Amino acid sequence: MQSNQESSSMEVDVATSEQKVLPPKPKFEPLKPHEMSSGQVQFRKVSVPPHRYTPLKKAWMDIYTPVYEQMKIDLRMNLKARKVELKTRHDTPDISNLQKCADFVHAFMLGFDVIDAIALLRLDELYVESFEIKDVKTLRGDHLSRAIGRLSGKGGKTKFAIENASKTRIVIADTKIHILGSFANIKIARDSLCYLIMGSPAGKVYSKLRAVSARLAERF
Amino acid sequence: MATTTDAGVEALNRLKEIDPPSLLAPNPALSQTARTASQYLFSSLRPFSQKSPLDQLLVDGYDAEQIWHQIDIQSQPLLSTLRRRLKQLVNNPEEISKLKAPSDVANKAEPKNNQDEWEEEESDGFDEELDEGDEDVDEDEEGVEKEEGKGEEEGNEDEDEEDEESAEEDEEEKGEGVGIEDKFFKINELNAFLKKEEVDKGEQDSEDDDMLDEAGDFEMEEDDDDEDEEEEELEEEEEEEEEEEEEEEGKEKTRYDDLSGDKVKKNKTPSTHEKQLEKLQSKIAQMEKANVEPKTWTMQGEVTAAKRPTNSALEVDLDFEHNVRPTPVITEEVTASLEDMIQKRIIEGIFNDVQRAPKLPSKAPREVKELDDNKSKQGLAELYEQEYVQKIDPTSAPLSFKDELKNEASMLFKRLCLKLDALSHFNFAPKPVIEDMSFQTNVPALAMEEIAPVAVSDAAMLAPEEVFDGKGDVKEETELTQAERKRRRANKKRKFKAEEVKRSEKKAPVNAVSSQVNG
Repeated sequence: MQSNQESSSMEVDVATSEQKVLPPKPKFEPLKPHEMSSGQVQFRKVSVPPHRYTPLKKAWMDIYTPVYEQMKIDLRMNLKARKVELKTRHDTPDISNLQKCADFVHAFMLGFDVIDAIALLRLDELYVESFEIKDVKTLRGDHLSRAIGRLSGKGGKTKFAIENASKTRIVIADTKIHILGSFANIKIARDSLCYLIMGSPAGKVYSKLRAVSARLAERF
Repeated sequence: MATTTDAGVEALNRLKEIDPPSLLAPNPALSQTARTASQYLFSSLRPFSQKSPLDQLLVDGYDAEQIWHQIDIQSQPLLSTLRRRLKQLVNNPEEISKLKAPSDVANKAEPKNNQDEWEEEESDGFDEELDEGDEDVDEDEEGVEKEEGKGEEEGNEDEDEEDEESAEEDEEEKGEGVGIEDKFFKINELNAFLKKEEVDKGEQDSEDDDMLDEAGDFEMEEDDDDEDEEEEELEEEEEEEEEEEEEEEGKEKTRYDDLSGDKVKKNKTPSTHEKQLEKLQSKIAQMEKANVEPKTWTMQGEVTAAKRPTNSALEVDLDFEHNVRPTPVITEEVTASLEDMIQKRIIEGIFNDVQRAPKLPSKAPREVKELDDNKSKQGLAELYEQEYVQKIDPTSAPLSFKDELKNEASMLFKRLCLKLDALSHFNFAPKPVIEDMSFQTNVPALAMEEIAPVAVSDAAMLAPEEVFDGKGDVKEETELTQAERKRRRANKKRKFKAEEVKRSEKKAPVNAVSSQVNG
């Protein structure tokens, strides 16, 4: 018993001597956006096409609120230049917020709805893909019109079917097509649209979509 | 007596002169005349009949029947006397020449008298006369009777017959010259009458066989062939009297013609019985002949067309067995009945529709995922949010609209099934075994595969690293290096020593206590 007590007191003596040797570890917090690039503010500017001017005016508050409140990015509309300008604030948590907001606004300008474009703010892996009909197949005149008609379907039901099956959002702007969604889903939507452009009937595309969606549902 | 005699003669004469048709109508004056005449005749015959109880004919207040009966009473023994006398005369012909000739008046009066009586009476008198005839009657009396019977018959019918009778009477009168005859009997008359009867009988036999059967009883007697003939003859005549009056008229005329033409008839006429026998035999011969001959084609068995005469099948009524129901004749009633049935069926809704037999599902039906071609109500963000949640925690994922509907439907159906089963006291036939519907849910496959069988404990569900409660890199003894082997042994020794120290410490206070107790 005595030997034990002696050993314990010895250990205490050793510990106190070692404390003064090492300096404390430094703790660094992540850099704030405005501290990057030596304290300068970061900007993004998104131009507004004329056909989206009025919808922007209508949906301005829906756009402004999540950008300013949740993403902590400054947002303003430059009427003279017809551009939406985004700026980081001092309390912006992450530099990617700015990019996300810029993408969000850009998606709105392409033609997507605010509620669909909001997904860009919330999810990381969402992308917007754009391509033209002429990229798929060279069509002229009536054929082009018919192809556009085929893509949309009667009352837009073909487009909606593709959207629902592949969990994407599609905007058909004349000859330009924009798809918003995750990478795999964009692929599914793009393939379906390409089949439609190339001339396959809607029923065929539907059956393919059904098969794909069934596979998607079982997928882990 | 003389006055009565004169009156009687006068009455007779008057009767003789009257017109016969007037006799047909009942005439009281005429009847009175007739009665007086018959009274006269009766009284004139009285001396010849010894046994007669009546002295004179009583006519006042008596009807024809009674008068006739009185006459009958007198005449019966008289007739028998006469018969006896005739027999004697037949046996002794020399006595005939000794006899006197009868008076004309008496001859004439009697038939006429009888004629009147008969006209007044109906056939009843005829019956009585016939009854007389049934008894044993001598030929001569018979002859007279038959002649009288004949006369009666004729008198009931027509003038012609009366004329014939008068002709007969004339013949009768002509025969007076022969010695054997008296006023009642004439041989020529007898012969003539018999011949007449034969002819008549022959003709009547050919017509009526029924009468023969009825008269068969009389045939059996066979006292005298002639007698029987005549008896039958009379009866036949009586029965046929009203039916064949004119026929007999004609017959008698022909008879007379025959008589005039054929004087010699067959000597022995065949009797009724013989005639019947002849008939039967002819019939028998005919039938035997028919049997011997080959049968007609209809009676033969199978007959081809060659074996029967041409077109003979057309005349015969052939009977066929028809295996097919004859086609129904469509009349208005049939159509109406059909239409009624159709209308009734339409009203009731009973149509004999052919129902397809239900096909049992051999393979489980696959759930068809329908594409929704309406604009989705949820935003993209919400979609991905749902997807994420499902990925993380499958159970807490909000059910899709379809799933909710399915759940509701399945709940309702389960409740209904429970109630129905309760109705049948939970005795029900098991459902036909079909594989469960293979459907795809939005649950990730891994989550589905994690559904554990019942018998497996939770330990098996855990991953091996979760089951293992060791630390660090685990190595077997073969894998160890020298240094590690030494280290392990060293650790083991240290542990053992530590445990021994603990045991000794536990024992020490016990020992100390025990030592203290001891010390």
